[in-house]
Amino acid sequence: MDRQTFLARVGEYHKEGRRLALINVTTVIPVAAPGHGAPAAAEAPAAEAAPVPDTFEITWVFENDKDASLEKIREIVSPADAVPSISEFFGAAFLYENEMRELFGIKVEGINLDLQGQLYKTATKVPFSHAAVKARLEATQAAAAAKAAAPVKNS
Amino acid sequence: MKRTVIPFGPQHPVLPEPIVLDLILEDEKVMDAIPTIGYIHRGLEMMVERVEYTEMGFVAERICGICSFMHGMGYCVSLESIMNVEVPERARWLRIIWAEISRVQSHLLWLGLGADAFGFENLFMHCWRMREEILDIFEKTTGGRIIHSVNRIGGVRRDVSDSELTAIVGKLTELGKAFEATSAVFAKDPSIRHRLSDVGVLSAEDARAVDAVGPMARASGVVMDTRLSGTFGYDQLDFEPVIETAGDCLARVVVRMREVQQSIDLVRQAVDKMPKGDGMALETKPRGNPFGEVFTRLEQPRGEVLYYIKGNGTKNLERFRARTPTFANVPAMIKLVKGCDLADVPNIILTIDPCISCTER
Repeated sequence: MDRQTFLARVGEYHKEGRRLALINVTTVIPVAAPGHGAPAAAEAPAAEAAPVPDTFEITWVFENDKDASLEKIREIVSPADAVPSISEFFGAAFLYENEMRELFGIKVEGINLDLQGQLYKTATKVPFSHAAVKARLEATQAAAAAKAAAPVKNS
Repeated sequence: MKRTVIPFGPQHPVLPEPIVLDLILEDEKVMDAIPTIGYIHRGLEMMVERVEYTEMGFVAERICGICSFMHGMGYCVSLESIMNVEVPERARWLRIIWAEISRVQSHLLWLGLGADAFGFENLFMHCWRMREEILDIFEKTTGGRIIHSVNRIGGVRRDVSDSELTAIVGKLTELGKAFEATSAVFAKDPSIRHRLSDVGVLSAEDARAVDAVGPMARASGVVMDTRLSGTFGYDQLDFEPVIETAGDCLARVVVRMREVQQSIDLVRQAVDKMPKGDGMALETKPRGNPFGEVFTRLEQPRGEVLYYIKGNGTKNLERFRARTPTFANVPAMIKLVKGCDLADVPNIILTIDPCISCTER
């Protein structure tokens, strides 16, 4: 979806009186990455679109309090892409958007309250970047392999 | 006029948990507030990478020490939805009962903290004494006072006997009567009214504009309560959301006081309507690994919590996201603080019932 269409749709949700309920980001990595076993065939329906590796899946969720319905916009973006802020329509979006930038490293343009990277204090810089997630999964796999290889102690 | 920056927090007498607001002042008026969080960011969502989905519920309930039951419930309900697990009826009712008791506990805790913040220590002690009785109920029925670990994917771990449930209703009824006297002090005491009335007013329009949730929104006249959607069995209970229209700090206190009585009534209704008898099924075991995604909403004591959970068919979830009510209410808090007197900042911040552990996860 191009930027204009995206913002027009967000504007429509705002006009309808919807509330911004969530902006979620998922770091998409290959499912068979270290630490994750491949899904059993029965559990992975073929109809599901295959996730695009090394991208972010962003979902904007808008809620209507009158009928509890949710409307969602989903975009797949690469780490190099920038996404527009929706804070001109939904003032509360700044918190989610600062979080997207600090925890995932996603570029967000036009945030109405730019916290300049001081929202979270994390030990790992950009903890949900692809590199950081992969490194953790590899470490988990290595630890599991070392544990399995260790000799069993007899008391 | 020269501007002064005063750091509010991370340690402050009214803050049970650390948060920083850089308050930008002109004389005694707050012109702007810049939040910084992250002092208790624990990376709980990240733990799905190494904790299997069957164990992740125990992590979820540690998001918050006050809403722990509801976080565990939200996680399990989400997985049940993805995995098409039918929860036995008695387990569903038990969840509602524990959830509403959680709300009573949370509101009593907050009312005590509020009383302490505006200098009414005696009232603080009354509220927390009553909260202790609720914690006793939790300890007796779940085995834990704060972390209950009673939810499982597919149901609950423990049953509560019918006689015990009747005793709980009796105890809550007594507590409700005792709480009426305490409520009268909150609502009528001139010193409390002086501190809270017409302070930190959030209009209904503003509450909608900043996407406020829970008692924060309801105290501004916004009709919003996730339980109204009727999920989890709430459609079988008779209740209306508690609404106040003043939108000030006092209205937020009143909403929570009325919700204490409402939750006691909901527990009474749930006990009446749930199937009776010993040895009834309490859980359905899930099969396989979760594949798919779900958005789940619950009405926690502080407002709507929204979980996003995505499974990829392995034992580890691909994503677990909890958007907690305080996270949603931070913009409202910032809006209220702008333009207020410095002396009113503590009460305004406290009346959103901030839970920083929840917010940071």
